[in-house]
Amino acid sequence: MTRWIAALSLLLLGQATTIHGQEVAVEAAQSFGLSTEEIAGAGTQARVLGDITPGLRFALEGAWGARSGEHDSDVFGTAYPYEGGVQVIEAFGEYFFAPQRWVRSVKGGRYRTPFGIYAASDHAYVGFLRPPLIRYGEYYALSSGYLEHGVDVVVGAPRLSVEVSLGTPGDVGDAIRRSGVGTVVRAAGSAGSLIVGVSYIDTTPYLPAEFATGRARFGGVDARWMGGGVQVRGEWLGGRPFDGTTTTGGYADVIVHRPVMGPLTALVRAERLAYSAAEPYALYTHRYAAAVRVRLWKGLATSVGISHQAGQLTQSRPTAIDIGVTYAARHDF
Amino acid sequence: MSRHIFARLFTRQAISVVLAVGLWAAAPVAAGEDALAGTVLVKGRPERNVVVWLEDGTGARPVASRKVVLDQRQLQFKPHVLAVRVGTQVEMPNSDRVFHNVFSFHDGKRFDLGLYPVGTARTVTFDRPGLSRIFCNIHPNMAAYVLAVDSGYFAVSDSQGQFILAGVPLGSYTYHAWRPGGQTTTGTVVVGADRKLEIRWP
Repeated sequence: MTRWIAALSLLLLGQATTIHGQEVAVEAAQSFGLSTEEIAGAGTQARVLGDITPGLRFALEGAWGARSGEHDSDVFGTAYPYEGGVQVIEAFGEYFFAPQRWVRSVKGGRYRTPFGIYAASDHAYVGFLRPPLIRYGEYYALSSGYLEHGVDVVVGAPRLSVEVSLGTPGDVGDAIRRSGVGTVVRAAGSAGSLIVGVSYIDTTPYLPAEFATGRARFGGVDARWMGGGVQVRGEWLGGRPFDGTTTTGGYADVIVHRPVMGPLTALVRAERLAYSAAEPYALYTHRYAAAVRVRLWKGLATSVGISHQAGQLTQSRPTAIDIGVTYAARHDF
Repeated sequence: MSRHIFARLFTRQAISVVLAVGLWAAAPVAAGEDALAGTVLVKGRPERNVVVWLEDGTGARPVASRKVVLDQRQLQFKPHVLAVRVGTQVEMPNSDRVFHNVFSFHDGKRFDLGLYPVGTARTVTFDRPGLSRIFCNIHPNMAAYVLAVDSGYFAVSDSQGQFILAGVPLGSYTYHAWRPGGQTTTGTVVVGADRKLEIRWP
């Protein structure tokens, strides 16, 4: 299926400027990164976004990544995989109904798993160079590389909506779920600048069937608020990655970009994760991170982050410093 | 292949020219008024997103009552450059898939609309003249300009660098033109005598 999606993506890329004269945008981002974990990474992301007809939009996204180093690490994996060659990330069409309709949108194709704070723009290029612990595939929770092949429907009003996804896994990255139908339900409401959501996922585990039996099921809450250039957000989830195990964890971020800071954005994160399983597989850990993102010139930005952790994470040392440089460009047709 | 591309480009330009001439010809002209059409060139090339306005001492033309929209779609503001008359309410809907936080902290109108979800809109009244640089605090690549002018006669150039100011009372005017990243240029034009205004930046 991925091969067909890739072929369709290339076809649409070629036609991007001529689809019914509607607006089409092409974005590309090139990133390089270095970490004191003796790991270097490079990645490219490209996407095409546009309207096919009024109300009907499409999005195609592909990514390539490569990483040096001899051990696993979650560095640079905020929203995209840094291994596995060229991969299709998202490829979907989405129809938006008139605002007064009860059904707000229907999406079909390949898209990010709609659990919690899941949009790529919420994690990529923000300034953090590592994903939250609950979103790195090897920590028995969810993965920033989880993708669905399916249908996603949003119903309700803008200030209180429910999103339901029915699909099969199409994951990229380290955690690839086994085949099988899965469901995600997410409800979100807002009051002023506060947005709160609750999510539930019932899916297949990413670990082998001979050792991870049963289903993976998680519930979670997320919230975000922003005002005066300060964004506070966080997620908490709990559930079972497979029979006989539980995972709980979450993170809280503060992202500050006030006018006096010019091109600089400051970020801090505190997070924890507990995976309860038979010894020696159990994992109890926490991590604290701080980072700055500096916009150097137009689409060129650099991020520097320091993280300190306790527990048996893939990070090889308790403290790591990561540096990333990204150039992003966009062209609207 | 290259001939095909040139043919397409030529056809597109030809259609734009015909449309612009048609719009100019069709612009309503009352007695004692005329339409002023023009072209903007930067280094000899047509320039889009240039705001052109006339100094309007009369203030006779009322603020437009129609809804003026600065939309947020596909992680971008649309349009990139918006010109409004002082006093205009601009609606800023979130028509995207993700949350946005629109703000302006530089010159012009200062505001911070906070986080608001898909399908909702917030409104800002641009109550004094000047340039407002509009950003999203979550998506640093999103940027737009809103130029509020104290004039009833203004326009933004299209992709062919062309603009039309319709229904301008006959007479001599001082015009101003502003473009992103460039200095404002000023000159004089006689509406009724000068049917075509050409604005050039070196």
